[in-house]
Amino acid sequence: MAKQRVDIYLGASAMRTCLGDKAQTLAAMNEGKSGLSYQSAWGMYAGCSQVAAIEGYTRFEAMIIAQIADVVQQSGVQLSDADTQLIISTTKGNVELLAEDCDNIPPRAFLYASAERIAAYFGCVARPVVISNACISGVSAFVVARQMILQGRCRHAIVAGADALCEFITSGFASFKSISPAPCRPYDAQRDGLTLGEAAAAVLLTTDSALADSNIRLAGGAITNDANHISGPSRTGDGLYYAISRAMAEAGVGCDDIGFVNTHGTATRYNDEMESKAVAWAGLDCKPLNSLKGYIGHTLGASGVVELILCAESLKQDYIFGTKGFESSDTPHKLQLSAGAQSIEGRCCVKTASGFGGCNAAVVLDMGAHQGAEIACRGVKQVAEYTLPQSELPFAQFIREQFRTFGQSDMKFYKMSDMSKALYVAVERLLAIEGFGDVEPTRRAIVLANCSASLDADAAHQQILNSHTAEGASPAVFVYTLANVAAGQMCIRHKIQGDNTFFIESADSGTAEQYARTLIATGVADAVICGWCDYLKGNWSVDVKLLKND
Amino acid sequence: MEQLVQELKEHLIEELNLEEITPEDIDAAAPLFGDGLGLDSIDALEIILILEKYYGVKLANSAEAKPVFYSVNSLAEYIMQNRK
Repeated sequence: MAKQRVDIYLGASAMRTCLGDKAQTLAAMNEGKSGLSYQSAWGMYAGCSQVAAIEGYTRFEAMIIAQIADVVQQSGVQLSDADTQLIISTTKGNVELLAEDCDNIPPRAFLYASAERIAAYFGCVARPVVISNACISGVSAFVVARQMILQGRCRHAIVAGADALCEFITSGFASFKSISPAPCRPYDAQRDGLTLGEAAAAVLLTTDSALADSNIRLAGGAITNDANHISGPSRTGDGLYYAISRAMAEAGVGCDDIGFVNTHGTATRYNDEMESKAVAWAGLDCKPLNSLKGYIGHTLGASGVVELILCAESLKQDYIFGTKGFESSDTPHKLQLSAGAQSIEGRCCVKTASGFGGCNAAVVLDMGAHQGAEIACRGVKQVAEYTLPQSELPFAQFIREQFRTFGQSDMKFYKMSDMSKALYVAVERLLAIEGFGDVEPTRRAIVLANCSASLDADAAHQQILNSHTAEGASPAVFVYTLANVAAGQMCIRHKIQGDNTFFIESADSGTAEQYARTLIATGVADAVICGWCDYLKGNWSVDVKLLKND
Repeated sequence: MEQLVQELKEHLIEELNLEEITPEDIDAAAPLFGDGLGLDSIDALEIILILEKYYGVKLANSAEAKPVFYSVNSLAEYIMQNRK
């Protein structure tokens, strides 16, 4: 069975970056201006945004609400219409509230609680979908939004991304020694780390061509995992290569159609090196390429959304922005870095992102005539389910005893966060019921949801900041302040190189399973581990299923 | 030196969560990274913190510190030379 694919257009968009609103950001970037400046409070360069306060809302909420309101006003699309879905991309939301009290977690530090407040502001009928997938969150949100629209679950989606900078975040990146001592220099031979930025952005995705902005379509997208390391980029670039090639295949476009590539380009040594390998592998090393981090910094959960909007502007105007900070390259594969603004040919662009947990994502924007390609619709079956039992024992003792029954010495287990340990044991038991050894790694996926995101690890990181200010944060703790890193550990353990998406919701409403079923039905994956995985301060709730194609 | 090596092993076990490993299990002359203890780049960053926290010894980054990070013995030697 196959059904006709609908076209998904990009509509109205809005942003707030350290360079100002969308018009100001575009104007400043056209002049080659950077918004990065030294922030003495954090002892580093960063791009900070001016946010107009909204009474009763946090800074994070105010910055994202303003962008959504702008999109609603421009497009006339209402979130109170059941056909419109709000999708929020953020890594840390209101995490700065933990600084006040990390023993009793403030209710609004929960991502879903903040998302529900934002949704209520606009009178949303559909529950907001929250994606927290480290630095690929924004690009992931487009991939998920696209699937939801293709499945007919909504006609319009507003994808909104934001993260507010605070010491929680800056100290964590500093502990990884990944902050550049000067404004970041993507792909440059002298690059020495990333510069954080702060932004919020929103964009309408719609099936209604009358609401389209210059007929630019979100033509394809894919999420993959390196299955290699939770913080270090792949040595080969294989995960990002799979994401790019799959996104292009889904869009039905070849290298000749691509006008330019906009990468994550964080300016850490290893990230840019990895990207050069992946881009070359995908045959796109002959295409103009840029990174926008030198203008606005790495804006975390907003980055995919902000940068995709800027890519759409480039497609419309037939020229791309330069790569601020870049002078000469030393990446293993020579890329056509756009040092200054340059004109482009080709109706499509590829936008990529990679992040902690080993995740990668790529999407393709296409300004050409619609393709009308057909997508598969396959049957899905559940082949196994496992619920981690509750216990009278304290978690540490319970999970150690569970792990010992496997009779193996995986040294990595004891280094994991408690949530990762709980997931580790549950997935081990699930796959003992039925495995997926016959399924190729790139055809395996893991889709999870929970309520507390990574708040357990967040509280531990905040505790360290409060108690040992001199030594700073612990990288081994900070890396787990991203919920998807638990999924990333499973990707490494079980060689899962396909989709790995983490949703946040107040209780299990089946979001993860629904998305997992879509992945199999549409032929993106052949085996998907999906379900609920939550852990907070000694309480756990883990229920996982294995789905396969029927 | 011997006492420092023993102490370092204990700090490594504690701070790197090397559960089920005892100081006697760690060969002070053997490579720290690679198969043995299963340490990775995050552990390297944690070792930098251990050096700062317990010995007041600073290391700029793990890439420069490769020979220092070779074994428990090389770490101990570095601490002896740089401790104030």
